[in-house]
Amino acid sequence: MSDVIVSVDQITKQYRGSQSPAISNLTLSIPSGSVLGLLGPNGAGKSTLIMMLCGLLRPDAGTISVFNLPIAGNETQARKKIGVAPQEIALFPTLTASENLFYFGRMYGLSSLFLKKVVPDYLDKFGLLPKSGKRVETFSGGMKRRLNLIAALLHQPQLLILDEPTTGVDVQSRNMIVDFLQTLKTKNTTIIYSSHFLEEAEKICSHVAILDEGNLLSSGAIESLKANHPECSTLEELFLKLTGKNIRD
Amino acid sequence: MKILATYYKEFLLLIRDVGGMAVIFLMPLALVIVMALVQDAPFRDYQELKLDVIFVDQDQAELGRKLSQSFAQSTHVRLISKNDSSESNRLVRNGTYKAAIILPTHASAALQEKTRQLIARVLHQAGLPTALPDSVNRPAIGVTILFDPAIKSNYKQALTGAVSKIFADVQTQWVIDELQSQLTEGESTHSTLPFDPSQMIQVVQKDAGENRNKGIMMNSVQHNVPAWTMFAMFFIVFPLAGNFIKEREEGSMLRLRLIGGSQLPVMVGKFLFYFTICLAQFVLMILVGIFVMPQLGLNSLELGDGLGMVVTACAVAIAATGYGLVIAVFFKTPQQALSFGSVSVVILSALGGVWVPVYVMPEFLQMVSRFSPLQWGLESFNDLFLRHVSVIHILPNIAKLLFFGLAALLLSVLIHRSRTIS
Repeated sequence: MSDVIVSVDQITKQYRGSQSPAISNLTLSIPSGSVLGLLGPNGAGKSTLIMMLCGLLRPDAGTISVFNLPIAGNETQARKKIGVAPQEIALFPTLTASENLFYFGRMYGLSSLFLKKVVPDYLDKFGLLPKSGKRVETFSGGMKRRLNLIAALLHQPQLLILDEPTTGVDVQSRNMIVDFLQTLKTKNTTIIYSSHFLEEAEKICSHVAILDEGNLLSSGAIESLKANHPECSTLEELFLKLTGKNIRD
Repeated sequence: MKILATYYKEFLLLIRDVGGMAVIFLMPLALVIVMALVQDAPFRDYQELKLDVIFVDQDQAELGRKLSQSFAQSTHVRLISKNDSSESNRLVRNGTYKAAIILPTHASAALQEKTRQLIARVLHQAGLPTALPDSVNRPAIGVTILFDPAIKSNYKQALTGAVSKIFADVQTQWVIDELQSQLTEGESTHSTLPFDPSQMIQVVQKDAGENRNKGIMMNSVQHNVPAWTMFAMFFIVFPLAGNFIKEREEGSMLRLRLIGGSQLPVMVGKFLFYFTICLAQFVLMILVGIFVMPQLGLNSLELGDGLGMVVTACAVAIAATGYGLVIAVFFKTPQQALSFGSVSVVILSALGGVWVPVYVMPEFLQMVSRFSPLQWGLESFNDLFLRHVSVIHILPNIAKLLFFGLAALLLSVLIHRSRTIS
């Protein structure tokens, strides 16, 4: 638990044409086996940070190390150990659930034999086995989200990054996803979980990092953060105290 | 394995996209057939069509008879006799007929007289006893050929040349007759030495192809099937770029970017799949050229060297797929990619001689056309199908196509990779 799996050191990123940086001088460590809730209002820089952790965006300044290797120049190696469920439904709509998973599994370099075993297992676990032969375009939002998550898990990553995985899904699907993430916690998978659902984050996460306008406002174990702010009894109260109540664009 | 997986994925995506399948197979099929039918008449204009020409014979003598006899054997001109020259003028002017030959009254007699006088003069100058002509300097006999203003200039030249040749042959016969008559002091007024111009000199048409026994004339099918097949193959940019950008917009491309080391197999897999599709288009179009075109009253497509054809088809497919891939990765929206892709293919095809042959273009465009991959492909197909050359002769064009295609593939991989990390 004490090993640092992700180390972010004073990174800054400003998009071309933007007036202010999306991430400003951010430093963060994520211990192995922890579940880090990446929280912040819209425009806080959560998705930018996630893209940089995956090696899809390069910081203008600072360094990011994943599994003790700088991500810059080691993207291919790092991505083999990282599973990402992006905010978008990153699936082929005209392929079936099985076809999507088999294709992405093959692209991870997994064998057909292995996939024949794990794909039905995951589909069953997420309640999608009866629909495995149906095209994704016919799925509900919740089913697509569950399949999107499975696609990130196929290669059994050591670091799982979930960008708002429960957005736009019904309560049943959300519960299923949250329950699954809690079982992953027990298997020592490190999870970075970005969400606007603070109650859900409090339930799943061991640590949180609260961002606003590209700045890291606070980070650490939830209990110790709450202890530092005794006036806040819940994560949501702490969040609002740190980020304010102003509406964001 | 990753390449095969991508290939299979592309196959699944395509067979579930009915519109895409239609764009890839049915549209080019319709295009080839329609273009071959539409251009059949213009091609026959040059080579096969019979031209109806009015003949107003006001002479009613030897010249008119010879003209009628000669054109009766012609496969290109059919004379329609009329008496009224002003009606003929009207019929030509309004386009009912393309031309009218008007032979004036006494033309034969006048030409005969001019010939007689000319020979007499020649003999007199040679010191032979003969009566000097009295009116050698009469004006030339005016035979008029009226042309429809819309007629092509090569028709005008061909018809004028043919009429002039017939009259020249008649006059040559008369010169011989007159010489014989004058030298025999009028004892014989009829030719005893028949003149056959074909026994003097023969102009023979021969095919300059390597296989001279199998000369195939350019016709609508021979031009349109390879030309529009290549056009269709380059139009692979439409489904290729469309699907690529759709994947980018829908997010599936993002997941592939998140998978380490997946970019090259993804690009190569796509490339190979659409390369196969291009070849399938080619095979389909060739089969249509051979089996369907004759059913529509058109010529059947004649093929040349089999190996050369396969090599050319593969080279064109590589160039077309590479081009499509560059467009797909370079442009960010489907509107940009599809607009640029389709317009650029139309321009490249026009420059490449798909619409009109390169040799009729202005010199500057002929120079520019050398840079069109469609021109390299079409030239190779024409070399194979019409000139019957072997694969060795088309290697320079094949090399250009391969270079173009592989450079495009490399460029697309580099662009795609550069956009994976920003």
